[in-house]
This record gives sequence, structure tokens and C-alpha cells, in this order.
Amino acid sequence: MLRVEDLSKTYVRNDVHALDRINLTVKDGQFVSIIGASGCGKSTLLKIMAGLIPPSSGRVLLDGTPVLGPRPDIGMMFQQATLLPWRTALENVLLPIEIRDGAKAAHARSDLAVELLGLVGLAGFEKAYPGELSGGMAQRVAICRMLIIEPSVLLLDEPFGALDELTRERMNEELQRICTERQATAFMVTHSIAEAVFLGDALFVMSARPGRIVEVVPIDIPRPREFSVTTEPHFGEIVQHVRSRLDLGEQL
Amino acid sequence: MSTRATETDPSAPDDAPVYEERVSLLDRVPRVVWLVGLGLAGLGVWQGIVALELTSRILLPGPAETFEEVISTAGNIITGGHVAEALWLTTQEVVWGFLAASALGFALGVVVGETKFGQVAVMPYLVAFNALPKVAFAPVFVAWLGFGINSKVVMATFIAFFPVIVDTAAGLASADKDTVMLFRSMGASRWQTLRKLKLPGALPFIFAGLKTASVFAVVGAVVGEYLGGGGGLGELVRLSSQQLRIDRVFALIFYLSVVGLALFAIVGWIERRIVFWHRADPSDVVSA
Ligand SMILES: Nc1ncnc2c1ncn2[C@@H]1O[C@H](COP(=O)(O)OP(=O)(O)OP(=O)(O)O)[C@@H](O)[C@H]1O
Ligand SMILES: [Mg+2]
Repeated sequence: MLRVEDLSKTYVRNDVHALDRINLTVKDGQFVSIIGASGCGKSTLLKIMAGLIPPSSGRVLLDGTPVLGPRPDIGMMFQQATLLPWRTALENVLLPIEIRDGAKAAHARSDLAVELLGLVGLAGFEKAYPGELSGGMAQRVAICRMLIIEPSVLLLDEPFGALDELTRERMNEELQRICTERQATAFMVTHSIAEAVFLGDALFVMSARPGRIVEVVPIDIPRPREFSVTTEPHFGEIVQHVRSRLDLGEQL
Repeated sequence: MSTRATETDPSAPDDAPVYEERVSLLDRVPRVVWLVGLGLAGLGVWQGIVALELTSRILLPGPAETFEEVISTAGNIITGGHVAEALWLTTQEVVWGFLAASALGFALGVVVGETKFGQVAVMPYLVAFNALPKVAFAPVFVAWLGFGINSKVVMATFIAFFPVIVDTAAGLASADKDTVMLFRSMGASRWQTLRKLKLPGALPFIFAGLKTASVFAVVGAVVGEYLGGGGGLGELVRLSSQQLRIDRVFALIFYLSVVGLALFAIVGWIERRIVFWHRADPSDVVSA
């Protein structure tokens, strides 16, 4: 279980009050989407949860132990694929293992990496360099790279923001399948309400800066969801509700 | 809605203006023509100045005489004459100076680009150092190291190493912020982040610095010879100009530039092997 307790963050350098007393809980295996205006502190929250930067006050607990730095059981993914252009797709996927256990260990896990790439529809692209991949393909390589160390928690910062609508929908279905299969706990920042509702078991709405959680919207659409649910009235109702909350958040 | 649009949209008359695609003259003519054309034009201007006797022949020899001198110098070089000896000496100075500048520039570049101490304490001194008229140090090096090859190698290093520092540091700083975060989230050590992310990413910058250094190293070696004597092409240039053999000076400068270009080309060749993922820079005329 992932818990955030009374977390606040002020960037001292420019005196920006980014987060204000955030409290939240993500249960094991739960997928939580978080949405809020640009600059309200979502990335900051994610970085603190990943142990990449310290909070100004409050704390983050993962399974009861405080997060005090980067942890191997937390996998991260960013808006850009952030692949290394001098490494093949396969070598990029193996990077986390190489860093944790060395080149030999990484080599030994090549089979797993190939399997993962196959899983996201990239069989045959193992030896391709990022420069030869489309944006969506690169993002799928990044997913494999996150998954290879089998993290129990996935922190995703607008992972599909740079993709076109169609690719994005396919990636959403892919991510849902992977998360269900692995029973991973996921926490995803997004700017797309549809994406947030489609993937989430719950949706946190954040206010404008200083970021606070203004509402928790439960999403009771049964799984597995296919993209056709986005046209159903119930889906539309939730989206409408979130939109009104967001507008409210802007005014606060 | 669509019917209304067709009703009110009269088809354009046949003589309506057309938005024509224009291919510029520069694109229609093969680039070799431009290249050779400009070169010939330059030679033409040169020949013109000589033919009109705007200056004395002694001070400005024509292209033909210079070309002759280049050929006869080539003869001297091939048969292992004194120019060959000088060329070999200068080449050694340039290569050693370049290698030393690369190593020193790279090491200092990493210190400056990777450590807070380097950024805060070392870099200001380097910037101040770079503002010095470095050529003026040639006599000092000669006084310290003698007329031999050492003072020239140091001079070449001295002039060439600064761009390598700046480009190495800039290259390390160019690492994508998110990727650096990603490395931290994977638990990468500082050394791992440097080795696997920052240094490979800095390579295009570093090679740009090395290319600049390859040209500067020639300048350093020649200045060292010119002011510090002892042999080499720079010494020959000095002697020839004292004898008012400007045609010979030009020929020697030609061979000096061959040394610089050769080194530049070798560095570029290595770059294209190693930095395969990065587009070549505009100064890379070979692969263009
Ligand atoms: N390293 C930093 N130093 C100083 N201020 C920062 C830093 N990172 C973020 N901020 C500030 O904190 C606030 C929140 O930034 P953050 O990146 O968390 O927003 P965000 O919600 O992720 O925005 P977006 O949706 O545009 O990605 C912003 O006002 C930003 O200027
Ligand atoms: Mg953000």
C-alpha cells in the first residue's frame, strides 16, 4: 500500500508553494489517475513519491516503510520515452538490470526482454535504435524498460502525452492489460480526462497551485474495459463530473 | 451545408493565378558547380590583382607561380628533402599537442561539467585564462623547455585545449533532465550516470571540441616554431618570408593546412564511426 501523509512541498529556490498537505492512499493493485491544471504540482508529487526529491514536510510510506530515496520496487515512466539513442531497443529495456546488477546479469535476462518486447507488439524490433522507432514504439520500449525489474508500484507522469489519439488508445488498453496481469499498483498523471477515467479505479482531482486533492472520484466501470466504453453514457457522466470538479479547482 | 458550399463556390477561371513551386537556382545547379565556381572566381580575383600589377610580383606571387612552388615542394617532400623533415617535425608537434589538448581538455571538462567545485571554483579561472593572449607565451615556453619539440608541443596544447573543456562541459550539461531523473529512479550511481548517460550523450559535443582543437593545434605548433625557432614548417615560413620568397611561404602554408585538414578529417572519421546515432554537423563537408 502506498500512503502519502500530510505532504507539502515548497521549492526554496524560487519560493514556489507547489503542494499543500496532500493525503492519499493507493491500495495494492489499484490504479489511480490524478488530474489537475498545468503547474499544480503533479510531477512534483510523483517525484516525491518516487523518492527522487525530498518533501518539505510530511512523508511517503510504501508498505509501511518511509520512502527516503529511489527504490528498486518503484518503476517510473515519463512523458517522453527517454530512451538512450545509442542503445538498441533491447539494450534500452535491459538498462535497469544492467544498472542494478551489471552487464552480465543484463545479458542473462535478454530472453525476458525479448518476451516483453513481443508482449507490446515489438517483436523483430529488438535490434532497432530509437531513431528508427516511431513515438508510440519508443513509448512501448519505455514501458518494457519499466516492467523488466517487476516493480510493484508504477509511477507514470503523462506517459502517453506525446502520442497521437489512436496510438494512445491502444497504449491505454495495453497498460490496463499489463497492470491487471501483474496486479501492479499504479499512479498516473495525465491531462486527458478520458484516459484518466478509462484506466483508473479512482481519480484524484487536484486544485491549482498550491496543489491539494479536492476530490476523489471512484470509477466503478467493470474490467476489463475496452475502448468502446468511452462512448457509454455512464463513462460520459463521470467525465462530465470530473470536468466540473476541475473547473471548480481552477477557481479555488 | 455541403450543397450550399458548392452552390456559392464558382469554379476558378482557367487563367487564374497558380501557386507555383519555385526551385531556387542554388538547388537546380549541382553543388560541385558552385563549389568549383567559387574557387575559380577566387583564383580569378587573385590572378587579376597580379596581372594588373596592383602590387609587386615579389610581394604577391600569382596562382601559377604558387602552384609551381607547391609542386616543387611536393618533390622535395617525396624525395625526403629538408621540407619533408620539417613537415614530419611539425606533424609530430601537432599530433602530440592535439592528443595532450584532448586529454587535458576532456579531463578538465569532466571536472567542470560534473562537479559543483569545478563549476564554481575552476571554471572562472579557465575563462580568465582563455582571455589571455596565449601566443605571447611562446617565448616563455622556449625559455622553460628549450628550442626543441617540447616547447612547441606545449604551445600547441596550450592553444588547443580550451575548446575541448567548454564543449565537454556543455555536452555533459546537455543530458536530458527526465533521463537523469530516470537514472536516479533506477538507483544508478553517479559514476553509472556519467558512464552510461552523460558521456555518450556528450560525444557529439566533445567531437566538435576535438575538431576545433585539431585546427588550433596547428596554429599553436606553427606559432611555437615561428617564435621559438628550432625547425619545422613554421621556421621555414619565417626564413622564406625573410628572403621575400612569398611563393614558398604560400606553398608551405598550403602543406600546413594539409596537416590540419588531415587531422580534422581523421577526427571526423572517428566521430562518424562512434557517434552513429547523431546527425553530422554542418562543418562536416566530407559526408555532406
Ligand atoms: N526544480 C524546481 N525548482 C523550482 N520550482 C519548481 C521545480 N519543479 C517545479 N517547480 C515549480 O513547482 C510548480 C509545480 O510544478 P510541477 O512540475 O510539479 O507541475 P505539474 O502539475 O507537473 O505541471 P504540468 O502539468 O505542466 O506538467 C510549478 O510552478 C513549477 O514552476
Ligand atoms: Mg508535470
